[in-house]
Amino acid sequence: MKSRALLFALIFSLMTIAEAPAEEMKISGEATVTAQHLNINGEKAKFNEYRDYRDGFTGDAEFQYERGNYYMDFTATNIGRKDQSYDFSGGKWGSFKYDFKYDQIPHNFTYDAKSFYNGIGGANLTYGTHPPTTNFGTWNTFDYSLERSNFSGGIKFDLLKPFFFDVSVSQMTNKGVYPLGVAGTTPGGIAIELPSPIEYTTNNMKLAAGYIKNPLSLSVSYLYSQFIDQKSNLNFRNPATANTAATTDTYTLPPNNDSYKLDFQGTLKLPLNSKFSADLAIGQTTSSFNLANSYVSNVTAAASNIGQQGRSGVLLSDYVFNGKFETQNYNFVLTSNPLHYLDGKLFYKYNQRKNKSDEITTVDGANTFINAPFGYKTSKGGGQIGFKLPASFYLSGAYSYAEIEREGREDIPKDKDNLYDIELRWSGVDFMVAKAAYQRLHRVAEFESPAVTGRTDVKNIETYIRRYDAASKDQDTYKVSFDFFPIEDLNFSLGYKYVYANYPDTILGLNEATRNGVSVDGDYFFLKQARLFGYFDYEYVKYKQLQRQLPSGTTAFNPDLPPTSTAFNWTVCQTEKNYSYGLGADLFILPKKWTLRLQTNYYQSDGFADLSYLLGTNPLPAGRTNSNIDISNWDDYRITNYVIKAIYTMDKNLSFVAGWAYEKYVYNDAQLNGYLYVPGTTGTGGAYLTGAYADPNYRANVYFLNATMRF
Amino acid sequence: MRRFLFFLPVLPISMLLWGVLPSGEVGGSEGIVGSEICKGCHEDHYQSYLKSTHAKKGIPGSPASKDACESCHGPGAAHVEKSGERGVGIFIFSKRIADAKSKSAKCLSCHEENRDLSSWDLSKHKSSDVSCDNCHTVHSGTRKNLKAAQPDLCNICHRSIRMQQNKTSHHPIREGKLKCTDCHDHHGGFGPRMVKSKTFNDLCYSCHAEKRGPYMWDHPPVDENCLTCHTAHGSNHAKLLVSKIPELCQSCHDWTQHPGSIYTNQNTFQGNARSNRMFARACLNCHSAIHGSNAPSARGKTHVR
Repeated sequence: MKSRALLFALIFSLMTIAEAPAEEMKISGEATVTAQHLNINGEKAKFNEYRDYRDGFTGDAEFQYERGNYYMDFTATNIGRKDQSYDFSGGKWGSFKYDFKYDQIPHNFTYDAKSFYNGIGGANLTYGTHPPTTNFGTWNTFDYSLERSNFSGGIKFDLLKPFFFDVSVSQMTNKGVYPLGVAGTTPGGIAIELPSPIEYTTNNMKLAAGYIKNPLSLSVSYLYSQFIDQKSNLNFRNPATANTAATTDTYTLPPNNDSYKLDFQGTLKLPLNSKFSADLAIGQTTSSFNLANSYVSNVTAAASNIGQQGRSGVLLSDYVFNGKFETQNYNFVLTSNPLHYLDGKLFYKYNQRKNKSDEITTVDGANTFINAPFGYKTSKGGGQIGFKLPASFYLSGAYSYAEIEREGREDIPKDKDNLYDIELRWSGVDFMVAKAAYQRLHRVAEFESPAVTGRTDVKNIETYIRRYDAASKDQDTYKVSFDFFPIEDLNFSLGYKYVYANYPDTILGLNEATRNGVSVDGDYFFLKQARLFGYFDYEYVKYKQLQRQLPSGTTAFNPDLPPTSTAFNWTVCQTEKNYSYGLGADLFILPKKWTLRLQTNYYQSDGFADLSYLLGTNPLPAGRTNSNIDISNWDDYRITNYVIKAIYTMDKNLSFVAGWAYEKYVYNDAQLNGYLYVPGTTGTGGAYLTGAYADPNYRANVYFLNATMRF
Repeated sequence: MRRFLFFLPVLPISMLLWGVLPSGEVGGSEGIVGSEICKGCHEDHYQSYLKSTHAKKGIPGSPASKDACESCHGPGAAHVEKSGERGVGIFIFSKRIADAKSKSAKCLSCHEENRDLSSWDLSKHKSSDVSCDNCHTVHSGTRKNLKAAQPDLCNICHRSIRMQQNKTSHHPIREGKLKCTDCHDHHGGFGPRMVKSKTFNDLCYSCHAEKRGPYMWDHPPVDENCLTCHTAHGSNHAKLLVSKIPELCQSCHDWTQHPGSIYTNQNTFQGNARSNRMFARACLNCHSAIHGSNAPSARGKTHVR
């Protein structure tokens, strides 16, 4: 596919050159060679999470060609590195254009992770002696890392104006190893971290054709997308089960799928500066998966339907699962600006995802399970109106109403949303624009009580739970911003946002969420000798939730019941205090010759989880108090970086940059501090871990020197 | 659904009513003086214009192939007659003189029949008084005539997003491997929050196609909206999650035994009652298949295989 696309690129570029009339040819471009030296202590994977800084050379290049109506552009960045990209485009103005891109994105998680498994990177993880050794120093080492490559190409034709035709294709691959976790036995067993292979390919093709000529535009597009997972299952020897040949366990990996979407869009200009826009789309996604007829269960007798000890057999109504979603999207919008002081919009949107996947009945001993394919539809309508008022005020208001209906979800099958917006802008003076906005969301959820089989049915607790994604909700959002530009060389901005969400029907679950944020930034050119810039952001986030802990077989579901030592409520209030700032200066020491850039950025986050047992007069579990259970290091981190860069422009064709960059990352989190690869080998305190994300701290210095030649 | 029925008569009646009313469009172009005259006083502007795509005569309909400076600024005769008096008879792309709609209208007079701009009227940018020249410079020769590179250009207005992008868990935006416009249709479209797809999930699936399923055991909030659990621009928590696990999972899953149990500082590696439901990746230590599973029986239903 890549070679074919390159061939197309070559053909088109040759066409460009061959067909170009004898007009003046313009060629320009630049090439940069960079030498880099990296000195790092700590986790290289986090430092290079999405990039590839290392010792050695890299380069960038740009090339532009023009002749008459024809043009060609080529750009390459980070040549030879894992984050390299290439973009080749060109065409004939007003007739056609093509674009071919290749882009790599690394995603590094943890280097030098450890596992007792052999075969890492493949779909079969095994180990020798059972149980696996807990001496993790002898385990295999590997990297949790993914490499995404995206190759795309497209051509847009405008030869037969007002008609157009576009075609594009892309292939995205993603390869590497990623951490998964499984319960050894369930429930109540150890956890096992598995290095899972990732080997995905996504192929896309899009065709579009249309007509654009005032007052009408019409287009139709077809998108086909195919996802291929080279591995359908990850097989692993399960160390939590008896050591028999039948203990190869299986984790199901994402299934292959095919998806298409057919989309029709149109707009029609109407008198009085009005426009009607419509969008009608249908789509479908399908998958097929061979279901297993047994699972590792550590049973001692041979399962009747499979004849294997250590596995439980299941009876399925069908051993192949065929998944199918059908989607429909309709959008109609009427916009109008009939008078210079008045504008408005009316809209209606409809989205439906119908789930036509197989319903499979699973009989597992005394238990029967039936999957409930989930689908939904959303209808939303509303309007917006805006007025220009005297004294340079602009007032706008909007209202929308939405209904969401769900199938395959028992707790909240329906929501009704009312959304109100109002915004006031003022630009009455030359040096400032001020905005204030308020939004209110009022969501009413239709809760459906669960069908329960008796007083001990665990579903009784559903009566008190409201899941925050669909629960009744009142949310207020306030926004204020000021943009100052008192003189041409000075800009200063200030913004504040406050969001408060309350879930009035929720007893158990998320009850309240608050977010406060302030942002300030400025930019100043000082006597053409220096540019100073900086920003400061602050954010405070709070989530409050009430939960209930219950033993099995209980009937004490009601949170209003007096607490006992095993059936009680608890609360958690999580807060995050985040702030960041950046300061920088471009000092034009010798204008157009010597420039010095100084820059620093800092980010800090402090999280806290305030937990409380609501046990009344009952004692807390041994060794715990309502203060030593709180968590003060809850995804805390600091990122500090400095950059010093000297830029020397020798002449218009040659420039040099020399510099130093420093970055330090300090992470502190209760869930990872004191990390143990094998904290235990049995029970809920047990696990075989691999070190995924365990210690992301680093301190890095990067020294760089580059030369750029222009022509 | 009934509440939407009122739209049905509104649309055709509106169209019919406005169809019989006169159009507000005006036109006419006299008094062209030519760019040499403009250059005489505005040499700097003229030189920067020469570097721009607008100055390419080979582009059909470009200012260079029409009236050059006066294609956008209007006929200059009156301005010249008044000895170049500021703002007389010509159109200036200044926020202090022209409003956003007027400025965009100037650009759209040539670019309106561009397929990437056919939904400009639907864009939040338009209704928020953002004009083309907020992001594009009509002079100079930068790529796509942008005034700055992304994400800095977008962050000038979207300041709260800047803070999200700086968080430890983020898409590779600040590394330059993902641009705002990879996900958002800055010129408008039918998607929510100006995203390039009809739904948020469709957008996420365009890069994360493995999450599309369809799975036998799905996870409804995940299938309805990725943003139930994830935030797109940045988070303090791994995997761009909106809050930390196990609390995030427990806010929905509060049943008997371990889903509803309280996990505290004492259940971490350094606590007195270690639990694999709390240390390391908490719930994800066992329940990795949270986007869906095809595993048999309760193994699939509880997303552990």
